[in-house]
Amino acid sequence: MGKHVPDYFKISPFLTFFLITAVQVGVGILSFQSIIVEPAGYDAWISIIIASIGVHILIFMMYKILNQEEHKDIFDIQTMLFGKWIGKSLGVITCVYFLLMSFVALRLYIEIIQVWMFPQISLLVVGTVFLLLVLYIINGGFKVIAGICFLGVVIPLYLILTLIFPLEFAYYDNLKPVLNHSVIELLLSAQKMTLSYLGFSTLFVYYPFLKEPKKTQKFAHFGVAFTTFLYVSTAIVSFLFYDEEQIKTVIWPTLGIWKIIEMPFVERFEYIGISSWTLVILPNITLTLWASSRGMKRMFNVNQRKTLIVYAIIIITVMLTVRGFDNIDKISELVTRFGFYYVFVYIPVLCIIHFIFQKVRESK
Amino acid sequence: MKLFRKKPKKNKKVSQLLDQSKQISSMKELMEYCKESNDFVHYEHPIKNQSLWLSYYKPLVEAEILHRDILENVDEETIHSLQDLMESIPIENVVITKDIGVIHEKLLSGHIMIRFHERDTKCVLVNAPLKKTRSISVPEVEFSVIGPKESFVESIGTNLNLIRYRLPIPELKVKEFTVGNLSKSKVAVLYVDGITNQENVNTVIQRIEDIEFDELIDSSYITQIISDNPRSLFPQLLDTERPDRAVSVLAEGKIVILVNGSPHALIAPANLTEFFAAFEDYFLNPIIASAFRIIRFFSVVFSILVTPIYVAVLTYHYELVPKDLMGTLITSREVVPLPPILEAVFLELTIELLREAGARLPTKVGQTIGIVGGIVIGTASVEAGLTSNVLLIIVALAALASFTTPVYKMGNTIRLIRFPFLLFAYLLGFLGVVLSFCFLLAHLLRLTSLGRPFLEPIYPPRLKDMKDSVIRFPFSWNTKRPIQLQTEKTQRFSAKKARKRKDIDE
Repeated sequence: MGKHVPDYFKISPFLTFFLITAVQVGVGILSFQSIIVEPAGYDAWISIIIASIGVHILIFMMYKILNQEEHKDIFDIQTMLFGKWIGKSLGVITCVYFLLMSFVALRLYIEIIQVWMFPQISLLVVGTVFLLLVLYIINGGFKVIAGICFLGVVIPLYLILTLIFPLEFAYYDNLKPVLNHSVIELLLSAQKMTLSYLGFSTLFVYYPFLKEPKKTQKFAHFGVAFTTFLYVSTAIVSFLFYDEEQIKTVIWPTLGIWKIIEMPFVERFEYIGISSWTLVILPNITLTLWASSRGMKRMFNVNQRKTLIVYAIIIITVMLTVRGFDNIDKISELVTRFGFYYVFVYIPVLCIIHFIFQKVRESK
Repeated sequence: MKLFRKKPKKNKKVSQLLDQSKQISSMKELMEYCKESNDFVHYEHPIKNQSLWLSYYKPLVEAEILHRDILENVDEETIHSLQDLMESIPIENVVITKDIGVIHEKLLSGHIMIRFHERDTKCVLVNAPLKKTRSISVPEVEFSVIGPKESFVESIGTNLNLIRYRLPIPELKVKEFTVGNLSKSKVAVLYVDGITNQENVNTVIQRIEDIEFDELIDSSYITQIISDNPRSLFPQLLDTERPDRAVSVLAEGKIVILVNGSPHALIAPANLTEFFAAFEDYFLNPIIASAFRIIRFFSVVFSILVTPIYVAVLTYHYELVPKDLMGTLITSREVVPLPPILEAVFLELTIELLREAGARLPTKVGQTIGIVGGIVIGTASVEAGLTSNVLLIIVALAALASFTTPVYKMGNTIRLIRFPFLLFAYLLGFLGVVLSFCFLLAHLLRLTSLGRPFLEPIYPPRLKDMKDSVIRFPFSWNTKRPIQLQTEKTQRFSAKKARKRKDIDE
């Protein structure tokens, strides 16, 4: 513990952009529309922006804390602020949260594969192949993980083009009238939307791996802005395409949009889309799993490779024991709710405590 | 720890044999030992009032040097001592020694030993090596229509000459090593002092010094031994047979490794995009060159992905084929009893067979095999209903596309990685194709060449290095050396002067 990350393992500041975006965009973007439409109707795109502003503030707070403590990650900071026992317990909770996040990302993606592509596919086989891939990436070190995040944003970018096709059937009056919902409804929607932004708290863990970390703040904000752009454009296109009552009944509106794409050589684009989504999901699983195992290493000095193998076995076992869409939904619900409180309650509290701690330290 | 490990001291006074327990410690023993081999010549050569004892390995010595330069000059002088003898021979690096180790080593590298009496322990060693190499010829692997037509040969001396006369600067440094305890191959590491990153040079030198091997035949042995990840299918050092390419990368700040007996130079560090850049690209207009490079990139992607996609689509996702296209596919596949995967594997293996047969046979026969085999087997297998027309076209195109890779080793890699893709496509459809693609990406991300990222400039993304990767910008834009190499002098030439635009009619 307390060892600094050598320069050789650090990554360029602007890659923070890709790390943030890659971990935020995941399975959520395929299904978030029907969830946020519930309270705020077709004004929900405003809620996406409101949520994004909230995330920007949180990122600002995280940098406020991290910039004061050079070369330290969340696990060091927690032990520093709360002492060994409470600090480490909080650290373990953080690790479990990240582990569950990666599990949920993987499981929900496999769910989509089961529903849309291969109903009979074996969980064990797909899960193992995925985890082998993830372990192979993580074993390459943080630079390789950042590489997958970068490619996981850049390569699937072509999918943005698929948003052009449904415009042929767009009904532009869907969005009118604007702002016919109350502020409370918009905020409720925004709260549901924050769930799609989760994952950026991994910044707490990989901060020491950034070169000139103080300069990375603007890239982190750009990353969130880019995520917001992706969500807003997807939301608006689906709002134009679907009827408001209809979209509430669709579980994966984005996949529905892909279904209507027709090109001279390809129909039923969703097969290609879902498969390409592997590249989007991969950074989600990889980064969170890495963050979790890194935490274990920082706190208990255990071998990260061994932790990862244990994690993989845990994920596979849980995946095989928890069956049924309802149960998976419950876990995912639990994780996202916890995530909401983690970022919107814990981070501000941590920021305040750290601020006070800072003042006390200075006055000494 | 290595710092503290003492190197075993070489006792030069004796000649160590392969069998560690044996060594030769006196001249008498040495002569007896050498004479066991019949090509060792040892005789008395009478001159006016005394005689000289000459000993050498006949196959290693140039008879003309012996007779014209050595014996001719020796005869005329009156010689009293070895010193006189040394001065009378007009050849550089003549040595007087009685060190058995040195004598034995020099004899084996084409020196002639001269003594006054058979029992003398002190002798003169004259260098008269016989060099029989083929003359410089046209590059065959990296052929270019325009540009220089020289290629490296098997002699390291000639190769060094080819490089040095294109780069006549004192900063070009050559470090020589002897590698292989049987082959004693000369290995030269070339770099430009003041440009090349010293850390890279040290890494290469250290890795070459650490090589434990007996018979080093070719530079590709070195590639396999000193690569960062020797188990990877991807070559991590670029090999070239073109001296012009070697010189241009030296100027960029890379390191060139030459091995005696190998007509291929190694270039390090390398990155992925270089393997798809033919050197001819630099002789063409940048726009044309870039267009060809893009075609090459797409053909590589096409070559890897097209058959797996065919298998995935026909096994699982036939819904995504439009109706009109489906008709064509059905007519073509109607009579084929095999599942798509077997069909594809069968054809891919056929193509590999043809390629392998063509490569092993003499050129003339090889061409015939390629054409006859391709046409006959292809048509016959379609007619017999073993494969479909569509797949035949696809596989042929994929094979063609894989041959556009300018570097032979990379072409092999690309053809081979298609098979795991096929298997995954068969097992998991499109998902399998994407998963194997992800494995490929992860592998490429993990690879390094001399510790520098292999996927650069794609990852880590460096826009400045993109100027000469997929797209080749004009020379006047490439004023900086690649960041990947971390060169000591980044500026190649003045950007201002090169890109200055004159006003109209000035």
